[in-house]
Amino acid sequence: MVLLETKKLTFTYPDEPEPVLKELSFTVNQGELIVIAGPTGSGKSTLLRLFKQEIAPFGKMTGDILYEGTPLYSLDKEKAAREIGMIFQDPENQLVMDRVLNELAFGMENLGMDTVTMRKKVAELAHYFGIHSLLNKPIHELSGGQKQLVNLASILLMEPKILLLDEPTAQLDPVAAKDFLHMLDLINKEFGITIIMVEHHLDEILPICDRLLVLSDGKISFVGNPREVIESIWQREKEPFSHYLPQIPRLFLHFHGHETTPQVPLTVREGRDWIKKISVRPKEHEGEDTNKQMGPSLVEARNIVFQYEKEGERIFDHLDLVIREGEFLAIVGANGTGKSTLLKLLAGLETPQKGKILYRGRKLAQPQPQEIYYMPQNPKLLFTQDTVREALENNLRKEQNTGIVQRLQELIDFFRIKELLDRHPFDLSGGELQTVALLIVLSSEAKLLLLDEPTKGMDPVIKEKVGNLLKHLQKNGVTIIIATHDIEFAAAYSSRCAMLFHGAVTASGETSSFFKGNTFYTTAINRVTRNSHVPEVTTLEEAKRLWKVVETL
Amino acid sequence: MNHGFRTLHPVVLLTYYLATTIAITINRHPFFLFFTVLVLILFNWVCDRGKTMKWWWRFFVLFGLLLFLLNPLLNHRGQHVLIYLFNQPITMEAVVQGAINALTFVALLLLFITFPRIIDSSKFLFLFSGVFPKWGLLAMLSVRFVPLFRIRLEEIIAVQRARGISLTTGTVRARLKNGFALVHSLLTWSLEDGIQTADSMAARGYGLKQRSRYNPYRLHPSDIFAIGTIAGLLALTIFGSWLGDGVLTMTPVIEPVYLTGREWTFFIIHTLLVGFPVIVEIKEEAQWFYWKQKN
Repeated sequence: MVLLETKKLTFTYPDEPEPVLKELSFTVNQGELIVIAGPTGSGKSTLLRLFKQEIAPFGKMTGDILYEGTPLYSLDKEKAAREIGMIFQDPENQLVMDRVLNELAFGMENLGMDTVTMRKKVAELAHYFGIHSLLNKPIHELSGGQKQLVNLASILLMEPKILLLDEPTAQLDPVAAKDFLHMLDLINKEFGITIIMVEHHLDEILPICDRLLVLSDGKISFVGNPREVIESIWQREKEPFSHYLPQIPRLFLHFHGHETTPQVPLTVREGRDWIKKISVRPKEHEGEDTNKQMGPSLVEARNIVFQYEKEGERIFDHLDLVIREGEFLAIVGANGTGKSTLLKLLAGLETPQKGKILYRGRKLAQPQPQEIYYMPQNPKLLFTQDTVREALENNLRKEQNTGIVQRLQELIDFFRIKELLDRHPFDLSGGELQTVALLIVLSSEAKLLLLDEPTKGMDPVIKEKVGNLLKHLQKNGVTIIIATHDIEFAAAYSSRCAMLFHGAVTASGETSSFFKGNTFYTTAINRVTRNSHVPEVTTLEEAKRLWKVVETL
Repeated sequence: MNHGFRTLHPVVLLTYYLATTIAITINRHPFFLFFTVLVLILFNWVCDRGKTMKWWWRFFVLFGLLLFLLNPLLNHRGQHVLIYLFNQPITMEAVVQGAINALTFVALLLLFITFPRIIDSSKFLFLFSGVFPKWGLLAMLSVRFVPLFRIRLEEIIAVQRARGISLTTGTVRARLKNGFALVHSLLTWSLEDGIQTADSMAARGYGLKQRSRYNPYRLHPSDIFAIGTIAGLLALTIFGSWLGDGVLTMTPVIEPVYLTGREWTFFIIHTLLVGFPVIVEIKEEAQWFYWKQKN
């Protein structure tokens, strides 16, 4: 049964020459889980918002959106609010009330339900979600993942028929993201609620979704069953889209080429089944640059003891870390292990209670903005100007170097952000903002980059560009330290990884060997290949370098 | 804490805040106000072990002192000249008046920093959304914004300091310029996030019809008794103030600050009113104590 349908939907923002959506026609069936992917600026969020009349963007719309056969915009307001639920990217800003229970009740209260009904529903739902212990908590004490679950629960209490989600896991750590997606899967399967979700990171969601829709330039490029879409993306070899493919299908498709192939594997299990059927001969090692000469120590953390408050938890307990010049270090670890705090300490934004931070052998007293560049997790903090252009120019004025103007221009072309230059920084999407913030960092003359979650919310194409650029900088002698949840990114680009746990660095080592020693905290490709008869690899690049597939059974 | 004063009906809580505000503003007597401040400090301590107070105390001391000093410097009326400063008389009356102003100010602030802890957002909406639906919500969002603002400003300052934009070094002009830039970005950021909050509210049907209430807040007999007590104490306080017992007479002659006779009665009534939450808490503690002994 068709629940939602668009017919030649075209939408143009005011003062924009080009429409963002061009004659889109597609249908959504009852009970489906649809994922919409596509590059930044392809109109995904606009499309999603047009389905929710209360927050639909202003602009010129032609064509129709039909909900259960009637025009969506003539739907009774109460029915629309109740039956179409929406969850946004930022878990924090969606919350209205200060306690979990009140937040859960907010939507129901707006619809005027009576107390007895509401209590019963909350009781049921708290049981299903297992959030009893949270009900009386102040909202600001919850973690990002818990907040997003509360947002989801609050919408579900209104009994929607269709859920719209705009990159709901972009701001969450991988574990919380997995929990959230698992919950969505349950809701979809057990209650038959239709789900339309915009997402960049497809690895986890593809195995559970019914249809994948790829938008580009306001048009549908691909639509269909995820496996079919993956194959047709690969066959058409449209460069930008192949980046969207999750790791396991990419590995598979790379070594299978274009022959008629068995089903594309989506999960680790399917991947391992496929691996069993191939035989691989290791290639000759071409001079890997892993044993590259490392420079002298650039930053050193010695015996750091740190806590934010006297009564608070001890974040670091005698932590030691040496970063050598020219390294690309990825600091990984679960939420709350102090990744961000460590970067702040290294940048000189916080002072440890005991121990010292040495920069080039000397104690770091004042932050040195010329050489050390710190990018916070929330890039909004970097912007004090009204347009992107001003922000970039302001940065230039401080640097006073003509070479940089040239470099900045190159970077702007490289990332194709010319059209963003006159927008307000806060009007950009999460990924765009992150890109511009990085641009400011990259165009500077910094010798040490400290980047906190640099890939958060980025689409895969930009992520790859950023990764390559960082590698390029590293080659030119810039030392880079990132704190990240993005294992795939760390595995693909960093030279060394350090894992934080329980107040200290518990493991550190060359990136490739680091992940090969892990069982849980490792890349999808590594999980496919470890303990199998093929040489163990962590990334597709590594497989390309080391593998030679001799035969497929 | 899920017991004691804050579990009373929101109307009781609001009545307390109104009554205490009135009592503090009409009883202009340093002796009354001094003990009011002490009781309110106790109230704050009971509320959150003085956490909020610790954050605010510098501000209290600064503005309290300012108000205390400003009056004698600007107001020279009165008969008891203490000293001459810059050829201007500093009078006893003006000093006492300054003390009253400062104490009133501090007492009101001490009272209102407890407000968000006692009246949370759902109680607030219960009280005001019926009367002013739009304003009730707006007020609540602004209350939510205050701590957010504080956290964000600290973050912005720290990050911008790393980029060489400092508020503590450089010329005054440069510092001012930097300060404005930071506040500017704080405001834009918060407004931007506020739009998202508004979207999320609209998406959940806010404002479509009269809201219902998850928490029914029934008036229990003890709530009615509490309202009666507060109202009675307030009436007596107003009466005392009208008699002049709660106000320090300045003209024609300043009366001694120490209390005499009937003034003690009204002092006790006033203090009982201000200390109502503390009394409720003590009663609750005592009940727990005996309950534990019995079992």
